[in-house]
Amino acid sequence: MNKVVGYFLKKYFFSTKKEWLRFDSIFMVVGIIISVATLTVSLSIFEGYEKVLKKTILGVNSHIYIFNPGEGNLTEENVQQLSAFCEDQPEIESYAAIIVTQAMCTNENRVKGCLIRGIDWKQKNLPTSYKKNVSEGKHELQNLDDAVIGYKLAKNLNLTIGDTLTLLSPLNSQITPLGMKQQKLDFIIVGLYRSGMYEYDSKYVFLNYQAAAEFISAKNEYSMMEIKLSDENIERADYLAYRWSSELDHKFQITSWIDFNGNLFSLLKLEKWVIFIILSFLILIASFNVVSSVSTSIIEKKQELGILKAFGASSKILKNIFIGKTFFISIFAITAGQILGVLIAVFLSKQTFFLLKGDVYFLEKINVSFNFLSWMIILIVSLLLISGASVVPLKKITKLEVTEILRS
Amino acid sequence: MCLLKVENLKKSYKEATGRLKVLNGINLEVKSRETVVITGESGSGKSTLLHLLGMLDSPDEGRIFYSGNEIKINDKKVNEFRNKKIGFVFQFHYLLGDFTAEENVAMPMFLFTKNLKRSISEARKLLKSLDIYTRKDHYPNQLSGGEQQRVAVARALINSPEIIFADEPTGNLDAHHSEELINLIMYLNNDKKQTFVIVTHNREIAEKMNRHLHLEEGILKEI
Repeated sequence: MNKVVGYFLKKYFFSTKKEWLRFDSIFMVVGIIISVATLTVSLSIFEGYEKVLKKTILGVNSHIYIFNPGEGNLTEENVQQLSAFCEDQPEIESYAAIIVTQAMCTNENRVKGCLIRGIDWKQKNLPTSYKKNVSEGKHELQNLDDAVIGYKLAKNLNLTIGDTLTLLSPLNSQITPLGMKQQKLDFIIVGLYRSGMYEYDSKYVFLNYQAAAEFISAKNEYSMMEIKLSDENIERADYLAYRWSSELDHKFQITSWIDFNGNLFSLLKLEKWVIFIILSFLILIASFNVVSSVSTSIIEKKQELGILKAFGASSKILKNIFIGKTFFISIFAITAGQILGVLIAVFLSKQTFFLLKGDVYFLEKINVSFNFLSWMIILIVSLLLISGASVVPLKKITKLEVTEILRS
Repeated sequence: MCLLKVENLKKSYKEATGRLKVLNGINLEVKSRETVVITGESGSGKSTLLHLLGMLDSPDEGRIFYSGNEIKINDKKVNEFRNKKIGFVFQFHYLLGDFTAEENVAMPMFLFTKNLKRSISEARKLLKSLDIYTRKDHYPNQLSGGEQQRVAVARALINSPEIIFADEPTGNLDAHHSEELINLIMYLNNDKKQTFVIVTHNREIAEKMNRHLHLEEGILKEI
């Protein structure tokens, strides 16, 4: 930095006059702080939502699913072949064959649709976070009639641990002399499942694999093979699905989490940046205060600027002094705005009096996440807008006529 | 030796009814170490002439030479030239309110050397020689009118300019402080061989200078 500019800036910020505490400067700083804080809060909420949603979806579900290409289930033979294949793949962290089916669950006069997942709960390394998400009771399905159900589903059916849950399956109805007889089995609730995602917590019923197989009358058959990938391969899931499909001679239908949820995450990303652009207009509006503040300052300092010009100061030096002042004030205001934004975001994530509608937004809690890249983008965009605004009134300095100032 | 030479200098201003001619062909030569006073009625164009000579404004016609070299206001290095070769003292001191007396004096030197320490050191020497050193840390609003004008003179001297243009330097001072300032100018001219071109209404100044010129109807006449 030019020594003259540095000297003037030092005088401006550290003199006893505290010129930067002028009303218009404070007004300018407050405007920037509020707009940057708003932008920071919005982006951190969007990022938190995206991150937690992704974590929950990828935690509750596995990353790759292998089905039988037809309508039938995977046979024991298929599962053995796939297990051998999975053992050879370094990208795979764990895998399991499970049963998935839809059913109705009832308690007294309440009926709800549910999704049954028949799992081998004894398996040490399940490809989903089933065990971790059992918030009340136990995850062990020791007896064939043990069940773990989503806490929302339990609430909707007015059930709790120890109560009996009745599952009905219209798919497996049997014709009897007395008419259609639905498949009906009773289970004892041993645990409640809480993933944080409304969709799952209000639908899932976890059963022992054997119990689920009996329920759908399909012994030694599986709905699909679930695969969990190592962290560094999660984003490559669709490529791996494509590659394995070829390696298995297209005998199986292989899909990835990206096929199911990719659009949702793309939409979230798009929404985040649309919100960023819209809220950047707040900074643009705040930068009008910068134009006003710099203009006022130039008008007030007109005489001193004129005299400095008379003594040989170039317009460039004088402009750089104003740019420097605005730059440092902006850096302070933007940083303060980001800190305020972080504090508000943390407060929002901790509070419990305002929760999201889980059935609309999947998650109930407001989650926030802070990303260095987003901070840098906010800092750079804000600085560009504010610096651009500060340059507008600087044309006045070039137009300053020393002789007119000396005459006035 | 001819320090400043002006040939056929003309200047007019745009008005609603046409152009107002202020200077109608000024010819002037100022020798080194001379003191020249320019008098004239209010509105006769004295300050305009001083601004043109000091490269603060551009003439409509005419040429200005310093030490034989023609200088134009749109020259790239005119700021540097003005800073190093010319000093200004104005009727209103125009000191920078946020800076102390010594910082004000140091400013023209600091603007080009960018050496604050040396500039302040030179400023202190000048303040000592002008007998105002004790007020070096005071801000302009803490100084009397006479002190302010002395600081302004010190500021004009800091780069050891070849010529100092003073526009009504006593115009804002009482009789006592005016006399002090005149004595200071005389001292600087006699002892330091400083060249002055002064625009004034003050007869006392006019009488004490080497040459007296009168500006009337845009023409400069020797008295």
